[in-house]
Amino acid sequence: MYTAPKYQALALACAAFFAAAAAPAAPANAAAAVAAAASNGPRAEVIHWWTSGGESAAVKQVAQAYRAAGGVWVDTAIAGGDQSRAVTVNRIVGGNPPTAAQFNTSKQFFDIVEQGMLNNVDDVARAQNWDKLLPEPIVSVIKVDGHYYAVPLNIHMQTWIWYSKAAFQKAGIAKEPASVPEFFAALDKLKAAGIVPLAHGGQPWQETILFSAMLSNLGGRDLYLKVLRERDPKAIASPAFRNVLLAYKRLQGYVDPRSPGRNWNDATAMVIGGKAGMQIMGDWAKGEFTAAKQVPEQQYGCIAGLAPNAPYLMQGDVFVFPKTRNAQALQAQKLLASVVVAPNTQLAFSKLKGSVPVRSDVDASQADACARKGIAIMKDRSRHLGVSEVYLTPDQNGALQDVLTAYWNTNMTVEKAQKNIAAALGE
Amino acid sequence: MMAQTTLATPAVQAPAVARPRRRRFTPARIGIYVFLFGAALFFLLPLYVMAVTSLKGMDEIRAGSILALPGAWTVEPWRQAWSEVCTGASCEGIRGGFWNSVRITLPSTILPILIGAVNGYALSFWRPRGANILFGVLLGGAFIPVQVMIYPLVRLLAGAGIFGSLPAIVLVHLVFGMPVMTLLFRNYYASLPQELFHAARIDGGGFWRIFLHVVLPLSTPIIVVAAIMQVTGVWNDYILGLVFAGRDNLPMTVQLNNVINTTTGTRLYNVNMAATILTALVPLALYFFSGRWFVRGIAAGAVKG
Amino acid sequence: MSRPIRAVRVRSLTPAVKPYLALLPMALTVIVAYLGTMAWTLRTSFTASRTFASDKFIGLAQYERLFDNERWMLSLHNLALYGVLFILACLVIGFLLAVFIDQNVSGEGVLRTVFLYPYAMSFVATGLVWQWLLTPGTGIDGTIAALGFPGFVFDWIVDQDMAIYTIVIATVWQSAGLVMALMLAGLRGIDADIWKAARLDGIPVWRVYLSIILPMLWPTIATVFLLLATSVVKLFDAVVAMTQGGPGTASEVPAKFIMDHLFLRSNIGLASAGAIMLLVPVVALLAPYAYARSRRSRARGHA
Repeated sequence: MYTAPKYQALALACAAFFAAAAAPAAPANAAAAVAAAASNGPRAEVIHWWTSGGESAAVKQVAQAYRAAGGVWVDTAIAGGDQSRAVTVNRIVGGNPPTAAQFNTSKQFFDIVEQGMLNNVDDVARAQNWDKLLPEPIVSVIKVDGHYYAVPLNIHMQTWIWYSKAAFQKAGIAKEPASVPEFFAALDKLKAAGIVPLAHGGQPWQETILFSAMLSNLGGRDLYLKVLRERDPKAIASPAFRNVLLAYKRLQGYVDPRSPGRNWNDATAMVIGGKAGMQIMGDWAKGEFTAAKQVPEQQYGCIAGLAPNAPYLMQGDVFVFPKTRNAQALQAQKLLASVVVAPNTQLAFSKLKGSVPVRSDVDASQADACARKGIAIMKDRSRHLGVSEVYLTPDQNGALQDVLTAYWNTNMTVEKAQKNIAAALGE
Repeated sequence: MMAQTTLATPAVQAPAVARPRRRRFTPARIGIYVFLFGAALFFLLPLYVMAVTSLKGMDEIRAGSILALPGAWTVEPWRQAWSEVCTGASCEGIRGGFWNSVRITLPSTILPILIGAVNGYALSFWRPRGANILFGVLLGGAFIPVQVMIYPLVRLLAGAGIFGSLPAIVLVHLVFGMPVMTLLFRNYYASLPQELFHAARIDGGGFWRIFLHVVLPLSTPIIVVAAIMQVTGVWNDYILGLVFAGRDNLPMTVQLNNVINTTTGTRLYNVNMAATILTALVPLALYFFSGRWFVRGIAAGAVKG
Repeated sequence: MSRPIRAVRVRSLTPAVKPYLALLPMALTVIVAYLGTMAWTLRTSFTASRTFASDKFIGLAQYERLFDNERWMLSLHNLALYGVLFILACLVIGFLLAVFIDQNVSGEGVLRTVFLYPYAMSFVATGLVWQWLLTPGTGIDGTIAALGFPGFVFDWIVDQDMAIYTIVIATVWQSAGLVMALMLAGLRGIDADIWKAARLDGIPVWRVYLSIILPMLWPTIATVFLLLATSVVKLFDAVVAMTQGGPGTASEVPAKFIMDHLFLRSNIGLASAGAIMLLVPVVALLAPYAYARSRRSRARGHA
């Protein structure tokens, strides 16, 4: 039979493994621990999904501002919005919530508010008069039952139209399209000149952007709200909405056959290189142009809307504050909330993120040409609108996206699309 | 079924085909080599692309062909991936996750192997009543996507007070690893001769004595197989480590995902590839160095059904 | 090693209890972790739960909604298609590789490593690399086109109907090596006398493989099939990394549908219904298989 020594060797190996596994944490963590232990300020662990170079630089501004105010910033970055939010929800449920967590300006955290799992930031909100300071779509999602549950960080506009000056010149387009017919005419001219008229990445969220652009520019503010906020079946079945869907599908004739699945920044690269004429994308695309050393109004242009009063579709990011009784954590939350809305932090963050500050009273002179356009438009409250996720629950928004992408990619008739959208939003 | 007449000596290692083949270049032989060579190309292609892309600059990637060798070789992406790339507000690369992954993988390999071995031993030699049904349900559990079980497991672990810690993630890996581990050990022990067991019982051995002194020493081949499979599964795991490990123990795969899947940021494909290879190095190295024992271990009876 | 036979009277109870005690972790895992969570999922599938579990029971409404959902139906269809192709391809390729490697080829160790290493890659890495390789224009087809076949386009990955097949390619690349290793081990375990007898009988080699060797490998194939089937049902990471379920929703799979609704769409009620629906065919397939196996093994007197 087999002798004991073999077993002894195995036992020794096991013991060694356990010893190694129980080894103290890595040096990287140790340094952070030392730093954290050294300072006494309120400690805020923040979960967010800003992991790229530009985003990282932007969130560092917030971290620095928080540190300057005396706090300790503990960074927990998790790429991918839904994964980050999943971790947040699971940690709240698991009893180990972060001090603050990133969500989009949307109904994503509505259920969490309903369950009473968030602290409110009413003191900061009232002290800084958020009702007056912030745009109405933002207030509508962060204010529930009269209490404020999130602090907004920025405002992105979802449906900017970026165009390459070189491509426009080659196609003989003299001035920026200022209406929907002019927009399609410009697309036709680009096509005739052999340039890809519309750079597009075939992913559901990007298709939803195209749809939103058509709904807001062609359908107008009233139809937009009737469909997305009221979810009125009559509005969805109306001829006006039908036209919007047809215009959306018409855009497909202007994208190149390689578009399915393409990442948004690869589409932007097409515009940067002059291979494509236009792209409809949020203002985070500016970072790509800047990285390619292009300057707004010189190599590229940005159009906010296709009508003088075209809606400005706002989306953005907020921090929420999971419920806690820990006095230090409460202090950290309040400090973080006030730091985030401070004008300096707003400017520094938005500059690096490509967004626009949430406050209407910031000094816009430092921003680039496109951001200045955005800030100017923001002053007109009648143009404030939210993107679909501001009005719809995540489930409804997702179901809408499913229909839109199916309509884009298959031979679905427009009537069927209308029917499916009504069903999706009717949940 | 083939009876193993010798104990525990792994099945014959040299190509067992006893027909004496002289190395002639028959068409059949050429065909074999062509097929194997073609298959090898197919299998090596992605690794080649990953390696080559990770050694190019971004301009070359945007401009050039995916299969082209780097025009200007650079290890800058590797350096960036390891220690510089941004994974959040901190830009320190993915090295931070490396030791976390080690600390998670070691206990998450040893514990499931031990328990799988005990389970397999009890199932194949002792066969208590109802154990087979239990095992059947366990196997059925292997078909459940892990995502489905995340939320209830979070509640369970939170109730036990250990959510978001190293014990939590080890426990979770134990739960998800148990079906395959038990299957492997059970199959392996089932291929050992029953006389061994009977003889030990007659000699007065009890449950644990027989396990420790008779069965476990014979288990080396299958332990190797189980270890390789479990290390690979745990090291490459992302979602379980993300949810259950707690902030201070986030594995390397989370860092890797932060690098690769930025939502609205610019993508550095060469750094992404370098980071991917770095993360895969541990299981890859394991396979390169122990592939031989892997096959040997399986041959020793892991899959005799 | 001979020992005096100890009196076993007093200890006769304890050996009977010990196996049960030793199996306690397994029993706990099965009952609490697996059955418990499945019971919870079943219960949730009857409620209108959104981000959190709620107590609002709505009967079978989630299941109705599920079957009205085109994306879910498509995901089931994709899974069936994928499952058949993936398992077949892995088995065939793995078997062929094993057979050919077994032919006394030189460099066997290297070849084995080459075929086996993809299994060490995570699904995310696999999906990522293959997405790159199969992207039309910048992927392999661009290189082939440049080599002198202009107009050569391989655009399955952006095609509504063909996208799912690209996932088959990527995951077969990853798993075929494991199948090869398992088959190789099985082949090596076959008695050399079989070959001698076959040669004496003058049976051609391929016939030997097909009619004699394959049936003998049946237990190996069964275990391989089981392992492959579990990864088919759980297919998620590779799809997300490769196509994000696209283009549009063309390569959607149930695990991704469930995951999306669990967290992204904050609708765990619907996700739970999907999970139960996914389990039903699995149980339906496994139960008779398990029953048949236990009957067979009882007949053989061998677990």
